[in-house]
Amino acid sequence: MCSVGEGFEDEEGSRMEKAASANWKGGKCNKCRENDPVILLRKKDAYCKACFLAGANHKFKALLGKSKLIHPKDRVLIACETGHPTMSLLHLLRSGLDLNTQKKLRFEPVLVYVEDNYHMSIGERQRIIRSINNETSRLKFPLHLVSFADSINRKNVLISQKSLALNRCDQGKVNAMFDQSINKTNRRQLLHIMKRNILLTVAKQLNCKYIFTPELSMDIASSLLTNIALGRGSQVPDDTGFCDGRDSEVKILRPLRNFDMKELAMYNVFHKLEPVSVNPAQIDQYSSVQDLMSYFIIDLQENYPATITTVVKTGDKLALNQSMIAVQCKLCQSAILRNSKGLSSAESTRFSKLTSNELPDHNVSGPERYLKLTEKSDHSPQERQQYCFSCSKLSRHLLEEI
Amino acid sequence: MPACSTKCGKNAILKRPKTGDALCKTCFFEAFENEIHFTIERAKLFRPGSTVAIGASGGKDSTVLAYVLKLLNEKYNYQLKLVLLSIDEGITGYRDDSLNTVKQNQEDYGMPLKIMSYKDLYGWTMDEIVAEIGRKNNCTFCGVFRRQALDRGANLLKVDYLATGHNADDIAETVLMNILRGDLARLNRCTSIITDCGDGIPRVKPLKYTFEKEIVMYAYFRKLVYFSTECVFAPNAYRGHARVLLKDLEKIDPTVIMNIIQSGETIKVNETAKTPSLTRCTQCNYVSSQEVCKACILLEGLNKGLPRLGIGKSSKVKRLLKENEEKNKSCCRNDTQESACICKANLPSIK
Repeated sequence: MCSVGEGFEDEEGSRMEKAASANWKGGKCNKCRENDPVILLRKKDAYCKACFLAGANHKFKALLGKSKLIHPKDRVLIACETGHPTMSLLHLLRSGLDLNTQKKLRFEPVLVYVEDNYHMSIGERQRIIRSINNETSRLKFPLHLVSFADSINRKNVLISQKSLALNRCDQGKVNAMFDQSINKTNRRQLLHIMKRNILLTVAKQLNCKYIFTPELSMDIASSLLTNIALGRGSQVPDDTGFCDGRDSEVKILRPLRNFDMKELAMYNVFHKLEPVSVNPAQIDQYSSVQDLMSYFIIDLQENYPATITTVVKTGDKLALNQSMIAVQCKLCQSAILRNSKGLSSAESTRFSKLTSNELPDHNVSGPERYLKLTEKSDHSPQERQQYCFSCSKLSRHLLEEI
Repeated sequence: MPACSTKCGKNAILKRPKTGDALCKTCFFEAFENEIHFTIERAKLFRPGSTVAIGASGGKDSTVLAYVLKLLNEKYNYQLKLVLLSIDEGITGYRDDSLNTVKQNQEDYGMPLKIMSYKDLYGWTMDEIVAEIGRKNNCTFCGVFRRQALDRGANLLKVDYLATGHNADDIAETVLMNILRGDLARLNRCTSIITDCGDGIPRVKPLKYTFEKEIVMYAYFRKLVYFSTECVFAPNAYRGHARVLLKDLEKIDPTVIMNIIQSGETIKVNETAKTPSLTRCTQCNYVSSQEVCKACILLEGLNKGLPRLGIGKSSKVKRLLKENEEKNKSCCRNDTQESACICKANLPSIK
C-alpha cells in the first residue's frame, strides 16, 4: 500500500536536490575571481590552484582548532594507512609543523602503521611497508610498525621501527579468532573493533593522548548507516563524530571527516605526492552490510551530491543520552543503555525467539499459555550486561574467550 | 521441510525472518498473535473501554491489523470498541476497488465503517488533482491530504485511538529515509509506538515489531481478503532509495530490520540542534510546524490555478502567499463585484 505522507506534513523529495550535470559555466576562480580555475568541486564551484590548496589547509586546521582539544606538546598518534587520505594528512601535518607563524601546529605527531595485509603475499606486504617507510621519511617523520595479527587482544603490543617480521601464518592467526560460521558482516565488525583496540593500546604505550584516523566524509557516512543497520545507533556520536571519547585516556579524532576523495587526491596531485597504493579487491556489494552501505552511499552521491554531507551532518546532531548510560561494553567500550520503561526492539525480538521455541500446551487456554510464556520471559536469566546490544550478537565463541 | 522449532512434531511451513526459526501453521498463528498481544500489553497501547479507529485501506497490513485486533480483543478481553476508518482519495481503478475490500471486511468482522473522501473534505478528488498537476508530485498532495483526512475522521468518530498498520519494515525504512534526508525532528519521533500530534487522539502502531513478510504469510494462511494492487498513479514509486536499501539489507540479514528500529529507539537528537516546534495552522487550526499547514497551501494552490504552489521549499511558499495576500487586498477593494475575485476570502474553508 502507498504510505506516502505518513510523516507529519510531508515534503517528499523536496529535501534532496538532484545533481545538475556539471553546472560550471566558465569564468574565474570562485574565491579570488582573478585566476583561471583548475578544479571543480561539488560539480559547481571552481577554484584556482592557490585558492584550493589554501582552502584545504584552512579546512583541516579549522576543524582541529574548533575542538580546542589538543594542547602544545601533546603527542598524537597518526594511524597510517595506504591511499590518498593518509598521504594528504601527513603532508598537511608537515606543512603545519614547519610554519613559522602563529598558525604553526604545536603538537608532536607519532606515526604508526598497523600492518593488516595478511591476505596478501609476503613480497607484496614488504613492498607496502617499504613504500610507507619511504614516504614518511621523505616528510621527515619516524614510523612505528605494529603487526595486527600478533597484537589482537594483547595488553602489551610489540612496536618496532624500520622493519617488521612478517609471517606466512598471520592469516591463520587472525582466522583462528573467529567461529567458522561467522558471516562477513560480523567479521568486519570484529576486525574494526580489534583495530581500534590495538590503536588505543599502542597509543598508551607511546604516551599519546590522541589518535588521528584518516576517515573521509564518505567513510563517515557509510559507517554511520552501517552503525544504524547493526543496532549501534547510540554509538553514532562516538563512532562517526569528530571525537571518539569512549576511552578514558586516549581520544580518537577524525580530522579528515569533512574532506572528500577528490579534494585529497587533487591535493596530492598538486603537491606531487605519490600515495602508497594497493590493488583493491573485487567486492560483492551483497556480501556484507558494510560493503552494501559504502556501495549505496557512493551510488546515491552520484545523483544527489548532497547525500554524504546530509548524512554526516545528521550524525553531528545526534548525541548520547548521558542519563541512560549504565556500563561500558567490554569489547567496543560503547555505553550500554539502561532499559527504558517502554518496550524495545531488543525485547520484542527476545520474546519472538522464546515464543517460536516453546511447545504450546494445548490443554490450557490461549491466555493461560501466554501468561506462562511471559512469566518465563520475565524470569529467564538476563544476559550478562557486559556487552552492548550488537556486540553480544557478534560471536559466542569469541566473547567467551575475551 | 524441516520440523517446527517448537518441537510440536509437525513440519514447518515457513522460516521466520525475525528469528530464523521454522514454524508450522498452528505454531506460527500462535506466535504471530502472541507477539502482537505482547506489544499491545507491554507498550500499554490501549486503555480498557476505549474506542479504536483502525485506519483501513484494504491492503494487507490494515486487513491483518483489523483481524488480529478483533481476535485479541475477544481473546484477552481488551474491552475495546473497534471501528474501521477509510479514506477515499478518489482514484478510479485503485481506491474504488480497495474500498470494496474494506466493505467486505466490515461485514466479515462486524465493525462499523466510516469513509472520508477527499472530495467532501477538500473539494477535489485525486483524479481531478492529477488532471491539474500531472503525474509528477501528485503523491505530495495525496500524502498530505491523507494524514489530515485520517485525523479528521478520527475526530468525527470521537474515538480514543487511531491504530495504523505500519509494520517493522515501514518503521525501519522511515529511520533510514530520515537520516538520508537529514530530518531530525522526524528521526526523533518516527520509532515511537504511540504518537500524539496535539489533537488528543494518539496514533498507535500495534504491528511496529511485525515483519511485512510475516504479515503477508499470516494473511495468506488465514485466507484473509485483501487488496494488493498498487496505486495507478505511483506504481513502485514510493520512498525509492530507502526502500531499495532496506530490501538489499534484508537479503544480507533480515534481522537488520529489528536492528534499525533498535538504533532508532536509542538515538537521541542533540539538545542544541534546532527542530521545528508544532503550532496550529492559522487557516484551518490543524497541527502544523508552519504558520499555514501544508494541506492549506496545496489547496490554495489548486483553487487558484497555481497547483505547483506547495511543491518545493516552504520559504518560497511563504513569500508567494504574502505577495498574493497583498495583491488580493487591493483587488478586493477595487472590485465592485466581489464574487468575481478569486482571493482568499472567497475560498471554501475546510472545516
